[in-house]
Amino acid sequence: MLDERRLKILTEGARFDVSCSSSGSGRKNPGGMGNGYPAGCCHSFTPDGRCVSLLKILLSNDCIFSCKYCMNRSDLDIPRASASPEEIAELTADFYKRNYIEGLFLSSAIVKSPNETMERLVRTVKLLRIKYRFHGYIHVKEIPYADEGLIFEAAKYADRMSSNIELPSEKSLKLLAPQKSKQSLLLPMKQLENGRQLVKAERKKELFLPAGQTTQMIVGASPERDGQIVRLTQALYRGMNLRRVYFSSYVPLVQDSLLPDLPAGQLREHRLYQADWLLRFYGFSAEEIVPENEDLAPDLDPKCAWALRNLQYFPVEVNRAPLELLLRVPGIGGKSAKKILEARKYTTLRPEHLKKMRVVLKRARHFITVGGVYAGAKDFRQVRGLLAAAETGENARQMSFFDGENGQFRLPGGKAEENFRLYGTKETALSALTGEL
Amino acid sequence: MIYFTDGTKENFLTAFLLAYRDEEALLASSETQLVLGQECVFVKTDLLRAKKAEARLAALDGGCLRELSLLLRSGDARREQIAFAYLKFLTEMRRPVRGMLAESAVLDAIKCLEAVTLEIHRMHGFVRFLECGSGALYAPIAPVHDICDLLVPHFRARFPEFPFVLHDVPRRKAAVYDGKNAFTAPLERAEIVLSADEKEWQALWRRYYRSVNIPSRERLKQMRAELPLRYRPFMTEFL
Repeated sequence: MLDERRLKILTEGARFDVSCSSSGSGRKNPGGMGNGYPAGCCHSFTPDGRCVSLLKILLSNDCIFSCKYCMNRSDLDIPRASASPEEIAELTADFYKRNYIEGLFLSSAIVKSPNETMERLVRTVKLLRIKYRFHGYIHVKEIPYADEGLIFEAAKYADRMSSNIELPSEKSLKLLAPQKSKQSLLLPMKQLENGRQLVKAERKKELFLPAGQTTQMIVGASPERDGQIVRLTQALYRGMNLRRVYFSSYVPLVQDSLLPDLPAGQLREHRLYQADWLLRFYGFSAEEIVPENEDLAPDLDPKCAWALRNLQYFPVEVNRAPLELLLRVPGIGGKSAKKILEARKYTTLRPEHLKKMRVVLKRARHFITVGGVYAGAKDFRQVRGLLAAAETGENARQMSFFDGENGQFRLPGGKAEENFRLYGTKETALSALTGEL
Repeated sequence: MIYFTDGTKENFLTAFLLAYRDEEALLASSETQLVLGQECVFVKTDLLRAKKAEARLAALDGGCLRELSLLLRSGDARREQIAFAYLKFLTEMRRPVRGMLAESAVLDAIKCLEAVTLEIHRMHGFVRFLECGSGALYAPIAPVHDICDLLVPHFRARFPEFPFVLHDVPRRKAAVYDGKNAFTAPLERAEIVLSADEKEWQALWRRYYRSVNIPSRERLKQMRAELPLRYRPFMTEFL
């Protein structure tokens, strides 16, 4: 059994990793323990407001790399610890049995060599799947520079894998993580995606990363603008077919002259997640959301900012507007749009109906008419101020958007992935990918 | 007239037929406080009529009986009245009405249903099993809605080889899976013998829960919205 001291060190080393949802896998139980939960499941919430879904842990924090921003970098004098694959597998199975967790999120510092580290990750996953007959959710990190064969071996047993692209540009990567290269981070991602496509094309029965791949990047440790980050995110969705791109706002954990002294703040992270949602569920393209060399407005959510720049589309009549347009109205999200579509089949909606249906009109009222009646600000010049004021009050609630289980969010028509529509062309996506990262 | 029901589906359907033409009908569960000066009746189940009503409702809308069964499990004191208004509206319209969200009867029912299904989803995560010496798993729970047996399919699919008991402590009943079959039974108190290393696993879990938190980003309001205080008394990390 793993002791408390090592558990503490290995958990604290992994807690800043954000890509830890448990959604997307419907793995069945053919005997043994565990199964998938496609919508994802939160088992607890910590005082920082985040959901605890997976056992998020490192195999070791004893790293040979020295990425400037990392709390586990090799030149720091911190307590080091490692766990054996057997210890992690036992811990996972026993936590899972008690319903503490939905599965395992396994990462590691690079111990001795990338291949040796990847081998230990693979051994842990195989132990769980074969010896413990564990069919719960497993997320494994792709270790940069590890052999393709090892990464594919992990993918046969894992539900999801991720390779962190760490920073939003190659230049920053060279500066802050000199031992990692763009190629070492993107190559395994590409190889696994090709593998997934192959398995899909051959209609094989075995599972190969049923929950796909994700990535994450640190925001605020390097000088990239939000416009560049949103474009990179879009390119990763289009080019690599990723399920999620996560952002982690920079927190100064170690001192270095190349790093900013102050944290990036959570508002920036929040705005980026809002932009990410617009890309994935609302049919926006990065080009519509923010110009390349600008940041997202801190006082307005990106959808409001877009609407104010594109007043020619508004106001829209909720009784007639198509879904695509309803989704572009600030304040109307997937759930409200679904309710409106459903209810207007039977009757002409009036303002009191929307109120009863709990469609929040604080922002939306400036951009809609209900049965021909407009109830927004009379002087449109005030709208920006009103929207910003509404925003301050709602910020706390909005935060839940990205901290909760992403799988719970559904648009009309079923699976989120099916509603995944992006405008723009493959070419623009690829050029964004090759241009900056 | 107030129609008191005993909480069963058959009794509710009998009351539904009795109250249908009564413009001032109010349906309530038998735990509700009697109101002075108001006429009331304790409905006696008529199985035959209930069956007929069930068949008629099923013909109008296949999904409404499942909704009824969920509504009657709600912890909301107005659950019978909400279900009555919904089914009455359905019968009047003679077709499925769940999309008519501009109607109060439908909205109230949907709201009530969502509260029940949300708790089922939450409990899938918040249940904490204790491992007994025999290898069986035991979880005390205190859900707002009467859902303990509805949690069984989830855990049965997940742990087909482990017998388990979900004990709804305030309602004094338990949903049991013995490794082959699932059933519910009244259960006042459970005497359990924990397995040898159960306490150690609990301590490790508490250590993990404390370590994974980022203290500099405290957001207790968010935490409370996602994990209301009422669920915490049986969760290992808060004991």
